[in-house]
Amino acid sequence: MNTQVDWVQLTIVIIIFAAVTVMGFMAARWRRTGALESLDEWGLGGRGFGTFITWFLLGGDLYTAYTFVAVPAAMYATGAVSGFFAVPYTIVVYPIIFVFMSRLWSVAHRNGYVTPADFVGGRYGSRGLSLAVAVTGILATMPYIALQLVGMQAVFETMGLGGSNTLAKDLPLLIAFAVLAAYTYSSGLRAPAMIAFVKDGLIYLVIGVAIIYLPHVLGGWDTIFDAAKTKMTTPNPTTHKPTGAFIPGETGYSAYWTLALGSAMALFMYPHSVTAVLSTKNRNVVRRNAAILPAYSLLLGLLALLGFMAITAKVNVKGLDGLANPQLAIPRLFDQEFPSWFAGIAFAAIAVGALVPAAIMSIAAANLFTRNIYRDFIKRDATPAHEAKVSKLASLVVKFGALIFVLAMDKTIALNLQLLGGIWILQTFPAIVGGLFTRWFHRWALLAGWAVAMVYGTITAYRVVNPATKKHFGGSLSNFPFTDKQVYIALTAFVINLLVVIVLTLVLRALKVAEGVDATHPTDYVADAGDPGVKDLPDLLDGEGTTPARA
Amino acid sequence: MSKVAAVRPAYWIAGILLALSVVVPLLVSTYAKDEPRLWGFPFFYWYQLLWVFVSAITVSISYRLVLGEERKRRAAQGLDTGPEGDRDAGRDAAAAKEAEK
Repeated sequence: MNTQVDWVQLTIVIIIFAAVTVMGFMAARWRRTGALESLDEWGLGGRGFGTFITWFLLGGDLYTAYTFVAVPAAMYATGAVSGFFAVPYTIVVYPIIFVFMSRLWSVAHRNGYVTPADFVGGRYGSRGLSLAVAVTGILATMPYIALQLVGMQAVFETMGLGGSNTLAKDLPLLIAFAVLAAYTYSSGLRAPAMIAFVKDGLIYLVIGVAIIYLPHVLGGWDTIFDAAKTKMTTPNPTTHKPTGAFIPGETGYSAYWTLALGSAMALFMYPHSVTAVLSTKNRNVVRRNAAILPAYSLLLGLLALLGFMAITAKVNVKGLDGLANPQLAIPRLFDQEFPSWFAGIAFAAIAVGALVPAAIMSIAAANLFTRNIYRDFIKRDATPAHEAKVSKLASLVVKFGALIFVLAMDKTIALNLQLLGGIWILQTFPAIVGGLFTRWFHRWALLAGWAVAMVYGTITAYRVVNPATKKHFGGSLSNFPFTDKQVYIALTAFVINLLVVIVLTLVLRALKVAEGVDATHPTDYVADAGDPGVKDLPDLLDGEGTTPARA
Repeated sequence: MSKVAAVRPAYWIAGILLALSVVVPLLVSTYAKDEPRLWGFPFFYWYQLLWVFVSAITVSISYRLVLGEERKRRAAQGLDTGPEGDRDAGRDAAAAKEAEK
């Protein structure tokens, strides 16, 4: 085990980090189409990204510390059900977004919507519903950013930074946090887009080497899978149940597919995914991307298997504080099996891979706050420059929120942070995706369904206690009501949400309760760039081209 | 009914391909087994990785089909004439009808 600081690794990580930071600042000048002092310019990078850059940008968004640290850590600790579901998750997500994302692009560009809450507010003429969507987006993004910070922390700990006392342990985390905050503050979305190129280059290099080199030194795939099988079928000394699932048994089926489907449906409800899609050039860029993004899914599958390689290599996952931390499995595997200089490159890849999405997520959450809370409820006549300023401050606040999640939550299963965010964000699905296809749902029914599901999801997740640490929010699975089938809580809450929405819509329609003014037109949903009324950046910059909720 | 019937076959095919790409990878019971292994990979693992490629192909085909139809539709309309909601993809014909009300 490495208790000393490894200077070779540290130097390489610092050099790559510094290069990335410089690029971030330079990116502020790249492809600039307007003054950065406007929210659209800072938060959407001018909305001119084509297929290729979008591919990198979405990849930077979606494949994060979740992929490099959390999923392999889950595979290492408990096997397929808790980890490998990420593969079907990233397979089914693309056909799903193919169906509805183009419509969101069109309606957003014709009406000047920048956030999902803008759309919901305009579609249903309801500021309350818009607020609910905005608050959910901000809340759900925080644990997702927290996961990125946990990932970076694991890397720094492996390099020997930190110690057993609180301050020493969190210092590297705080430094990374400061770098992230500084460059996001100054250059907006363009910085992460630029850095995504570096990041993906590094990641492909590291994965390529890991997938070819590691099985070779560890005795081949047969050995790796057999070692994993042995570990997963061995009973846990305290619970006397098998440690995990090498291949899901019948009782694991429902957990496996609901985790995959729930995560897939939730992914494109996150404000940062919406931001990335809206920054594309025309309505079909996202569909074209749906066809080429699976390249990343393959990567994710192979990365997940690194967790099994860590089992084969008998990696030590004891943290500097003396407790076992599965999040250390992959960094420790690299540390143990690679020469120092290459481990340094791999660590830089993981750290930058956490930095980029954390930046994108905090920008998107900040946009939500500014447009849908600050402008709608606090200061209606804010100038674009003033909005951009508020947004930058809000992005800092969101990052601090994430830091609180890191410090307060049970980190033994980091994947859980993302799954918790998913429970919340999925509850905006009926309003957003439903609204893209139909105006039948009643706005108050949607609000009620959202509220019930949020409460149910949060309470149910709170009640899951981790048997090892006795902490609440210890998992994301619970029995589906009236059955003994374990399912992802997000999906159960979603079903409850939908039932409430349908029943209340019928009631409210029968009572003829006012349903609000729809600011969109059916043609908006199929409009493309260049069509009359589809706004380009210059129209949006003056802030007049927008139609947020005014109910 | 007439609206459903008027939906072009290209949309039907795209819709079915997309639906299959969502449903089949979620049928865990069909692939939760160890044998046959491929290059040391248990069936459970290589089968799901194989679906990454299958899905890329089905989504690409759907993209071409939908894009072709959309181009035809837009050309026929001279881009922006009249409400076009009802002429949108088959996947949302019913929804678009709802939106027109």
